[in-house]
Amino acid sequence: MPAFYLQTQQKHFIQLYVGFKYAYLKLSSQNMENKELAKVQKMLHEQGYITEDSIVMSVFLAMQLNKPLLIEGPAGVGKTEIAKVMASALETDLIRLQCYEGLDAPQALYEWNYQRQLLYLKMDEQSSKSVEEKEQTLFGENFLLKRPLLQAITHHKAPVLLIDEVDRADEEFESFLLEVLSDWQITIPEIGTIQATHKPYVVVTSNRVREISEALRRRCMYLWITYPTFEKELNIVRGKVPQIDAKLADQICGFMQEVRKMRLQKIPGIAETLDWAMALTSLHIDHLDKKIVEDTLGIVLKDWQDIRHTQDSLSELFEKVGVIQKLS
Amino acid sequence: MGEYMQRQTAMSAQVVLFCRYLRQAGFPLGPTEEMDALNALCTLPLQNQDNFRLVLRAMLPKSRPQQKKFDQLYQKYWDELTKAVDAKIKQEEEEVLEPRQEQQPKPQQPSLQALKDWLYNKQNDEDEEEELASFSTQEVISAKDFSAFGDEDLEEVTQLIAQIGRSLATRHNRRYKRAKWSPKLDLRRTVRLNMRRGGEMLHLAFQKKPIRKTKLLMFCDVSKSMDLYSRFLVQFMYAFQNVYQQIETFVFSTQLHRVTEQLKEEHFEETLSKLSEEVPDWSGGTRIGESLLQFVEVFAPKYLDGRTIVLIMSDGWDTGNIEALTESMKVLHQKATKVIWLNPLAGNPNFKPSVEGMQAALPYIDVFASAHSVDSLREVVKFFRKGRKIRQIPHS
Repeated sequence: MPAFYLQTQQKHFIQLYVGFKYAYLKLSSQNMENKELAKVQKMLHEQGYITEDSIVMSVFLAMQLNKPLLIEGPAGVGKTEIAKVMASALETDLIRLQCYEGLDAPQALYEWNYQRQLLYLKMDEQSSKSVEEKEQTLFGENFLLKRPLLQAITHHKAPVLLIDEVDRADEEFESFLLEVLSDWQITIPEIGTIQATHKPYVVVTSNRVREISEALRRRCMYLWITYPTFEKELNIVRGKVPQIDAKLADQICGFMQEVRKMRLQKIPGIAETLDWAMALTSLHIDHLDKKIVEDTLGIVLKDWQDIRHTQDSLSELFEKVGVIQKLS
Repeated sequence: MGEYMQRQTAMSAQVVLFCRYLRQAGFPLGPTEEMDALNALCTLPLQNQDNFRLVLRAMLPKSRPQQKKFDQLYQKYWDELTKAVDAKIKQEEEEVLEPRQEQQPKPQQPSLQALKDWLYNKQNDEDEEEELASFSTQEVISAKDFSAFGDEDLEEVTQLIAQIGRSLATRHNRRYKRAKWSPKLDLRRTVRLNMRRGGEMLHLAFQKKPIRKTKLLMFCDVSKSMDLYSRFLVQFMYAFQNVYQQIETFVFSTQLHRVTEQLKEEHFEETLSKLSEEVPDWSGGTRIGESLLQFVEVFAPKYLDGRTIVLIMSDGWDTGNIEALTESMKVLHQKATKVIWLNPLAGNPNFKPSVEGMQAALPYIDVFASAHSVDSLREVVKFFRKGRKIRQIPHS
């Protein structure tokens, strides 16, 4: 059946069912090769990010459709890392907006460099410029302190905008963010409306401290990342700590898998695994035993209760790790 | 080969139908989402079934619970569809170009029906909205009575309670303090600072209202009559303990026990079982008066001051000394900023605080409210914030 038939059929049905004018698809991109997807995977891999299909797909679509990507998941599984990898894969800059309680619009958008304006006025006191002229210079780009959101919009090449831990900011900020994310323009009363030169690639991360509003969710694509499987973690460790002993890497990852199954206050993430692997490697250790684990447990677990808890059940843990190794 | 092409042609229609199916299952999907999904599908050639699934999975679910649900529904939907379509194709090979509605397989009757309704008359709209409204599990849980809770609701409840705790812990003070940055200028300090620069206002000083740290004292009744609720009230305390810095927690039935330390430790489940073991009269009788008096005598000097909110969670069934209750409530009322009494039974429309103990305590209570569901707890938090005096929260 000819491709053109396929296209008309598709248009026909969307029109029929969705009934919206904008339902005409951009069908031209249909011819794109699957290579694109493989390329993204390769890019991620080259940046040292070892991943699974669902993540590749989400990153790929986020880049293709230029839609914000909302990433949720426990701490330390590499949510922020995705934005960094995306930036270097797209060969563009990463602009980061770290959210915190009490973050408000001026800190995310722009501020006037008040001191500089004053000094300028003072120095310019003797000049014969008219008031209008002075005002023009005073509220020009020179005196504007660009904060992340404005930076992202006015950047010379579409950057990756990372809005980190959005759940820490309060709800008002979230609605403000929605406004920017949908219009891609910022109004500065003294200058006028600044339209985005390029639409940035947006990555929003959340640790689920607070539930994110439905409206923001709907604007975004959703991606859930959780702790890696044994194989994936092993790959990551081997990739990031290449000089590691194979057996040690096995043991570390097995151990981490088991530790995560325990009831802990702070479950260790991939970052902890890597720290531990690096520490043990630099100590020239090639296997785990009880003494070594006890001595270095502080790298993995950051909570006193957790450490005590783990130490108590260390032999049990070892038994389980042993089982895993036999299987693999 | 024919079969393969056949299905690809119908793809967009199928995606739209699948979206309708998801919508019936409670997903908040509109035409915008459908468009997005279709656009996303266009970016890839879809010989690969797995890619198709992954694209939809990336585009359609918008939260973790939805994602889990999506995984189930996806499998179910396409399995049945494949079966049905195969059967259909064998029957009517020549009807390739027929409109899609008629090809819709039997097992998908509900979604087909919905589509027809939607296309031809819009009466079904209300039903759909209702379903949407009831999708959020949180909503359901909010209104549910604590006594009807099962283990599976626990995680969600904890999250809700943590939210309440957080909002309570972040109240603003009335007085201003210096700040590095704030929308509000401290003119007086600004002027002083800039005197040394010849009066040019170069450096600005700011002020803001810092977050007020109110101390919280919680008393939880764990006697027999409260059995149904105490598990969740303990959870309430536990959640508070985790978000609220300055908090002291006590449980009582015939005697008072300080459990602040226990609640700080360990996991909730363990804490609960440990507590009920350690507290000797757990699920015992109730002597509120004596217990509170014990607090006033032993702990009050250390824990009670003018910046403290006292939160008592009990049904007021007192078998002990009423005078002791009156007396201790009087002291609490005098010394604390506010005394709040949460009564899980007050959620019942027929409830009247006629219990003797309740009657005795009522004059000394600033806020009296029900605490039978998360919704009612939320209501309480609102009253905390408004700082109203002596109110009985109406229950609807």
